[in-house]
Amino acid sequence: MLENFMMGLELAFRLDTFAMMAVGLVLGMVVGALPGFTTVMAMAVLLPLSFFLEPLVGIPFLIGVYKGGIYGGSIPAILVSMPGTGASVATTFDGPALTRKKQPRKALEMALFSSVFGDLSSDVITILCIGPIALIAMKIGPPELAAVLFLSLIVITITGGGVFVKGLLMMTLGLFISLIGQDPIGALSRFTFDFFAIKSGIPLLPMLIGLFALPEILLAIEKKASSVMNEKLDTKAGGRLTWPEFRRCIRTMCRSTAIGTTIGMIPGVGQVVAAFMGYAAAKNASSHPETFGKGELEGVAAAEAANNAVNGPTLVPLLTLGIPGDNVTAILLGAFVAQGLRPGPQLFSEQGSLVYAILIAMVMANVLFLFIGYFLVPLFAKVVTIRKGILLPLTVVFAFAGSYVFRSDPMDLIILVVFGVFGYLAKKLRFDVTPLVMGFILGPILEYSFGQTVTMSQENIVGYIVTERPITLVILILTPVITYFLWRKSARLRSAYGVSEG
Amino acid sequence: MKLSKLLRVALGATVALGLTAGAAQAEYPEKPITLVLPLGAGGSHDLNSRVFTSIIPQYLENAMIVKLMPGASGQTGTAAVAKAKPDGYTLLFTHNFFDQLQQHVTKLPYTPDDFETVVRLNYAVPSIVVLASSPYKTLKDMLDFGKANPNTLKFGHSGNWGAVMVPGALLLSEAGVQATLIPHKGGGPTMKALLSGDVDFTMAFPSVIGAQGDKLRVLASLGTERTYKDVPTLKELGYTPSVGLMNRVVLAPKGMPADRMKKLRDAFTAMQKDKTYGSMMKKLGENTELMQGPEYEGERMEQSKNYEKLVKAITSK
Repeated sequence: MLENFMMGLELAFRLDTFAMMAVGLVLGMVVGALPGFTTVMAMAVLLPLSFFLEPLVGIPFLIGVYKGGIYGGSIPAILVSMPGTGASVATTFDGPALTRKKQPRKALEMALFSSVFGDLSSDVITILCIGPIALIAMKIGPPELAAVLFLSLIVITITGGGVFVKGLLMMTLGLFISLIGQDPIGALSRFTFDFFAIKSGIPLLPMLIGLFALPEILLAIEKKASSVMNEKLDTKAGGRLTWPEFRRCIRTMCRSTAIGTTIGMIPGVGQVVAAFMGYAAAKNASSHPETFGKGELEGVAAAEAANNAVNGPTLVPLLTLGIPGDNVTAILLGAFVAQGLRPGPQLFSEQGSLVYAILIAMVMANVLFLFIGYFLVPLFAKVVTIRKGILLPLTVVFAFAGSYVFRSDPMDLIILVVFGVFGYLAKKLRFDVTPLVMGFILGPILEYSFGQTVTMSQENIVGYIVTERPITLVILILTPVITYFLWRKSARLRSAYGVSEG
Repeated sequence: MKLSKLLRVALGATVALGLTAGAAQAEYPEKPITLVLPLGAGGSHDLNSRVFTSIIPQYLENAMIVKLMPGASGQTGTAAVAKAKPDGYTLLFTHNFFDQLQQHVTKLPYTPDDFETVVRLNYAVPSIVVLASSPYKTLKDMLDFGKANPNTLKFGHSGNWGAVMVPGALLLSEAGVQATLIPHKGGGPTMKALLSGDVDFTMAFPSVIGAQGDKLRVLASLGTERTYKDVPTLKELGYTPSVGLMNRVVLAPKGMPADRMKKLRDAFTAMQKDKTYGSMMKKLGENTELMQGPEYEGERMEQSKNYEKLVKAITSK
């Protein structure tokens, strides 16, 4: 292994590798920052380009696009509360509040540093523990996935801000909305009333933009026109991140990295859950949880470190088994295969040095990422120095355009508006829409894996889990215990600080 | 040479991103052609389309842009093309199961007759695989065990009425075996389920099987010719062989002007001789068995009849 690692190190240090990685990072950030364009879309479009490059140039190039894209999504989330993907929803809790406090640059820098921190640490952990991670990924099947998702839903509802019952209500609503369309196993239509436009279900992206970005715009309009139209932030776009502020967040970033890396090992859960879990854990561990959601730098750090920390381990099933865990790794698989390399156990034993070279390139990509991001952040931060009277309509344009380009379906615009109005009303009535989004995103995966579990158990689910699925059993036993502790803690917080707004 | 290729692809990608429009030309195609995929990113259709859309512009003198429209088991993207004008600027890249089988299992907002075939790009042949450590050495071993122990064998497939489930269910019903069918979201998760022992057998395409080295045992291949030298085909073993092939086809909304159809078919035909195309498809582990539209139309009719019978056979048990 060490020999392969050293050879990989030699292979990875090439000027053209670095140059293309940098190009990939910039492209990824730009595409990620544009609402409606996803990292997967960018990678799919750029994939043919990698066919004509050497493996050690083409694949790092795509990895650059991937990493840049995941970070890029946090830029509109922080500046205009518009999450480009599910992964950056948790960033909208504190990011936009910081922008309102005239600290957008600070928030963007925090997001950058914590993203790089989470990504880098998880990549290093991945390289060191690639064997054990591969083993864990194999052990996690549908029953384990279902149990983890069930636990996640409970944790998110309990740790969310606001009244518990309201959170539960929103979660249920989210789960219900996720039922609309074809059921994932039998492909029967549910709640579609034979209306073709919603047969494939409610699309996530227009819903996210509707729930998070439109209410912000409506609230801004609600304020007195004069104060909005002429409001202008100072051209420096707020202060820079200071060392003490960064140091204060290191613990949070470490915690989020651990959470993100662990979640990354479970195929099929992904960045969205990681970001929420990282955020919830940070809030729970904080001595001042009441500041979360009102412009807390730690909140941005928690979410961003966690969602980037997922990146490393998700590559393990691809590299060791040749099985992509999500769309991004499926595209990377295509890039490998087009180079005549077939990821899987064979590649690992025959060309171990190449695999390590790619892993090392990933680590280097993070360093590059830090520098590029550092110089680009001031440019992005300038966006908020645009006069509100211009920025707001521009945000509306981006919200609509972003929802449309995703699938080019006019129906998505109706969904955007419906959820926009819903989000606005929810804000007015002090409902937090986060549990709704989580229920919506996790519902179908939970349903699918539960359905698979039932089929696999051949109608004896209890016996099957007890005798053949020890990991599931442990998770299920731990669920009420964790729930109890979290419940007690949040009850104590509620009585100490009163019910928080939102 | 290499650089010029790179530039060409870069140009194609730029066009695909919608940043530049093709130069105005008098005859078709005077603007980029949209190729709709009713499937998600990263699957085999996506990969195949990325290869040929980066090469075919040389023969069409304009770009071909991939548009992914997944959802509702392919119905979202297919419906969009069914509604499009038959002007040759909107095409569909799909497979025979979406195209001909779905009509027999669900109500569709279009019919297969709304489309005509431009070309069949290529096809893929799946094989039945078990773990190398599995007690079943031959297909007969496994099916005999399944017959003796109903509902014990676990068959992992990549989704209902998909490329793995259909031939598998047909084989099981022909052999009179009651098995448990466990759906997965695509071929990747299915293979993982096989490797971790969650299911007993599945079907996979050669590119996937090759990557697993000696971890798998191939029991039989579909199709009429052997995929592996020492592995029998289903036909040799006495089962219906042809339903399992996955044909990747380019369809157009019906009623397209004949000269435009000819131009498209000519471009696809000319592309077959392109060295880059051949080598890239080979690297993907795909064949380049192009079939002209009129010839494939005959197969489509045949498929529809077979699938109708098949669905009846599977659902009636």
